[in-house]
Formats: sequence, C-alpha cells, structure tokens
Amino acid sequence: MTLTTMSTPPTPTTRSGPRSGRPSRRGPRTTVMAVPALLWYAVFMIGPIGAIFVISVLRWPGMLAEIDFAGLDNYRAVLGDGLFWQAARNSAVQLVIAVPIMIVGAFMLGYFISTKPRGYRVLKVIIFTPALISASAKAMIFWGMFAPQGVINKLLGSVGLEALQHAWIADTATAFGCIIAIDIWGGIGYTATLYAARLDALPASVHEAAELDGAGHWRRMWGIAYPMVRDYVGVTVMLQFLWTLFTSAQNVLLLTQGGPGNSSTNLSFLVYQKAFVQSDLGYSQAAGVLLFAIGLVGMLTIRRAFRQPY
Amino acid sequence: MTTLPAATRPAPRIRSRGPRRRIGIGRAASYLGAWSYALMLLLPLYYLLVSSFKDNSDIFASPLALPDSLSLRKFTTSLHDARLDLAIANSVIVTVLSLAVILLLAVPAAYALARATGKVAAVIERAFSLGFLIPTFAALVPTFLLAAQLGLFHTRTFLVLFLPATSLPLAVVLLTQFMRTVPNEVEEAARMDGAGNWTVLVRIYLPMVVPGIVTVLILSFLAFWNEYLYSLVIIGPDEAQRTIQVAVPTLRSSLSTDFGVLSAGTVVTLIPVYVVYAVLQRRMEGALMGGAVKV
Repeated sequence: MTLTTMSTPPTPTTRSGPRSGRPSRRGPRTTVMAVPALLWYAVFMIGPIGAIFVISVLRWPGMLAEIDFAGLDNYRAVLGDGLFWQAARNSAVQLVIAVPIMIVGAFMLGYFISTKPRGYRVLKVIIFTPALISASAKAMIFWGMFAPQGVINKLLGSVGLEALQHAWIADTATAFGCIIAIDIWGGIGYTATLYAARLDALPASVHEAAELDGAGHWRRMWGIAYPMVRDYVGVTVMLQFLWTLFTSAQNVLLLTQGGPGNSSTNLSFLVYQKAFVQSDLGYSQAAGVLLFAIGLVGMLTIRRAFRQPY
Repeated sequence: MTTLPAATRPAPRIRSRGPRRRIGIGRAASYLGAWSYALMLLLPLYYLLVSSFKDNSDIFASPLALPDSLSLRKFTTSLHDARLDLAIANSVIVTVLSLAVILLLAVPAAYALARATGKVAAVIERAFSLGFLIPTFAALVPTFLLAAQLGLFHTRTFLVLFLPATSLPLAVVLLTQFMRTVPNEVEEAARMDGAGNWTVLVRIYLPMVVPGIVTVLILSFLAFWNEYLYSLVIIGPDEAQRTIQVAVPTLRSSLSTDFGVLSAGTVVTLIPVYVVYAVLQRRMEGALMGGAVKV
C-alpha cells in the first residue's frame, strides 16, 4: 500500500510538468478505453466466480425450482457425503500420479532437446502436437484405442499378453487409470516444449562449463540445468496442478461419465454432475467452492516449495 | 571473441575420453526415452488417420495396417450422420466472431493501460493479470445460469460474448507489454498534428504491434476452436447451433460404433488446427510459449 502511493505520484508530475493542460488530461482519458474490456471481464469472469460462493449457500434443487437460503446446509451435505470424499480421493490420486510424472518426464525430455541431439527438430514438432488437439478429439482417439476390440488389446494379444486384455474404460479397476494416462500422454510433450525453450535461453557458457567439469548427462540435467530454471519449473507445476485439478472433468465426461459405479468421479466432474445431471445446484457449487479453495491452497503451497532458496 | 572459444574447445576433447563413456549411457537412455515417447504420441494419431479409411472389421483385425483404399466414404458418412457441415459452419462462426470481439476489446484496453500513468490503470492491469490464475472451468455453473438469465441459453450468441472474456486476461496483458515498446516520441509527434486517441491507436500503434496481435489471435483461435465443455453446456445438442467439438462425440453409440466414421469426424476437427500450424508453425510455437510464460 505505502509502496504504491510512494511510487506512482511522481510519474504524472514529471510527465505532465513541462506540457500544457492537454497532455496531463491524457492519462485518465486513455484509461476510459479500458472500460469495455473491464466490463466484459467483470460480467463474464469475475461475476460468475463470485456467484459460485452465493449459490453455494442457496437451496436450489433444479433450474425451475424455488430458491431459498440454505446457510451452510449444502456444505454439511457435501462434507457428509461419501461420494465427495471418494471424488476427493480420486482427485488426490490423479494429482499425485500425473503431475510428478509429467513434470519430471517433461524436464528430462526438454533438457534432452535443449542439448540439440540428432533429429531434435523433428522431435520438437512431434512432442508439440498434443497442444493442438482439443479435449473432445483426444477423448475420441483414446475411446477408439481403449475399446474392447481396439488397438491396445490387439497389440497386447499379438505379444502374448491376452491375460491383460479387457474393457479398459468400462472396468472399475482401470477406468480412472485411463483418464490419468491421457493427462500424462499430452502433458509431457507440451511442458517439455516449454522447458526446451527456457533452457535454450540460458547462456551457452553454462553448458560448456559443465562439460569442462566432466559432469555426466544426469548431473548436468539435475545439478546444473534444473537449479537455473527452478522457479520456472515451479510455474509449470502450478499450471499443471490447476489443469489437472479442474479441466479433467472433460475427459471423465467424455469417456467414463464418472463410472463404472463412481470409480472415476473426481472433484471437478462431481461439480459438473451434481449441477447438470442431478440438478442440485447448491450442492454442486458448495463442492465448487471447496474445489476452488483446494486450488488456491495448492497453488500457494507449490509457489512456496519452488521459491529460490536464496 | 574468436580466441576464447578456440581456447576452450580443445579442452573437452582431450578430457572427454574418460567421462564420455559414462555420458554415453545417459545419452543413449535419453535417446531411447525421447523417441519412445514420440512414438507413443504418433501411434494414436496414425491409428486415427488409418482408421478413418476403414470398416470396423478391418480396424479390429489389423489396426495398424494401411487402408486398402483412400475412399472418403467414412468422411461423407460422418458429415451426414452428425450434420458436421452445420457444425463446422457453427464453429467457424463462433470462432471468427469471438476473435473479432477479443480484438475490439483488448486492443483499446491494452493501449489505454500502456499509456496511462494513473493508479486506476495499474489496478486494472493487475486485475487482468490475476485472471490468468482463474481456471475457466470453475465458473461453469454460474455462467450457464447467466446465459439463461440473459435469455441467450441454447444460442451461439452467448458463446460469442463469453469466449472472448476467457482470453481477455492473456490478450490484454500481452498486448499491453507490446504497446509499451512503442516509443513515446512517435505518438507525441502525431499528437502535435492534432491526432486523437483513436487515430493514434489505429494509425501508429496498431501497425507496430502486429506480432502481438498475431500471437493473441493464434492462442485465442486454438482456445475457441477447441472449446468443448462450455459449448456443450450452453449451446446444447441442437444440430443447427452446436459446434463441431460437441457434434463429433455424438458419432458414438453405446451398441455399435462405426469407428471409421468416428475417426473421420475426429480428423475433420483437427484439420483446421493443423493447417494453421503448418502455415504458422514458428509463430504458433512462439505464441504458446509466450502464453504459458506470462502467469
């Protein structure tokens, strides 16, 4: 607060000082041009985010139903619901498996590409492709691959692993694993491209010095390259955490609908399902508030964990 | 300049005898890992592409074999069954109009924020940059209620109004940074000649921030064309209104899916994106890098 009040006033005075009246009015007059964007942002982004909190304390059993104040009843219902805890457990499993594999795999791949090995240009184009494919296309591709007669079962059969063949996304044991696998499949490539670009930006002398040291591939990657981009890795961990936590509702919806049973229901899908399948808007948004809180706490924790030690 | 590298280069060559053998294992493992992963990325795409020319029996019997013919029968069936012709038109309409809206909103706002010096502008810019951290999915239900409230439920119109808002934080912050690089002197000269805010923006700033605008357009194009969940919830299943991302999954059926037709439909959704990528490869990669870095 004090910082801003101290640093901003001098600028306008020095800028408008030597000029006459007109330019000094320029500041406020251009700010007006940001108003439409700001309004749009308020109506379509901030407003709805705020509304999550309001709806979470309303009793709202369906679009056309009577609405009344429920206090904390929705939260009580959510926290006392076994399904919520199962969804929370699934989300936790998903995050704990997907994010570390994605980040570590992506860093190793990104580092490898940044050393410009033979064929790295082709490799770069290939690993960039997942970033272009929409959620529904990705889900359709894997729906075909995981199908009982799809290519995965066929390949297992052709190497003598018939025992492993089964209906991947229709089986309680593997349905959620398939969702996680799809996250990882695309996540590594895109994140690796980010790391490669970031590592490319480091001065070449770093690599040369490491080579002089006689450091091996592994030590150069984790002992030298990683510490230099640690805060950037923190940013990508934060992004992947948020994406995995929130956007995986789409894959669940497109592939398993949360089933079989509730075996692949995670928190974001629960928010969707309660609102659009079971028409309990209050419950859905109370769960939404909790999801939002988890996202925020997770984000701050990750930020702390990756802060540069100095 | 030239002596330095010359002096350092020979050194590793002399020393490398010992360590290189150890490096060799690490690098060999990296080669293997990287290309296995690349193969895992390509295999599904290859499977998708060859399946779109095959019948179910061929797909099940020999999934990885090349198709016998390149007949476009599966594509015409998918166009017909899911009315992909309408869906493509809807997706184009939604994407193009949303791109127009985002530019109309973000360009003046970015100019305003780049040139303003007041505290209000600083607060506005901060508000936009915090928007990066709002996962779009979070507000799905309230946004759906907003659409109903505005009487725009089950219409493309709401999506055209809503989608630009999701890209607004990125667009405004990115363009503001680009606008800041335009030297003040150019603008002052124009103002001497009596040019107003809008003239300055259109005549002077716009031509100088074209790379920024291209970046915003690429990122927004990808986001808008590929958008699924909001399109599903807000536009709904009406064939005349729904977008292609919503239409293609309807090609499945619980009893007997024609995987060839489903694959062909999926390929259709990917074509525009890959065409843009082929044309703008470097810029697109740059855009996605920049978009992710600016958190």
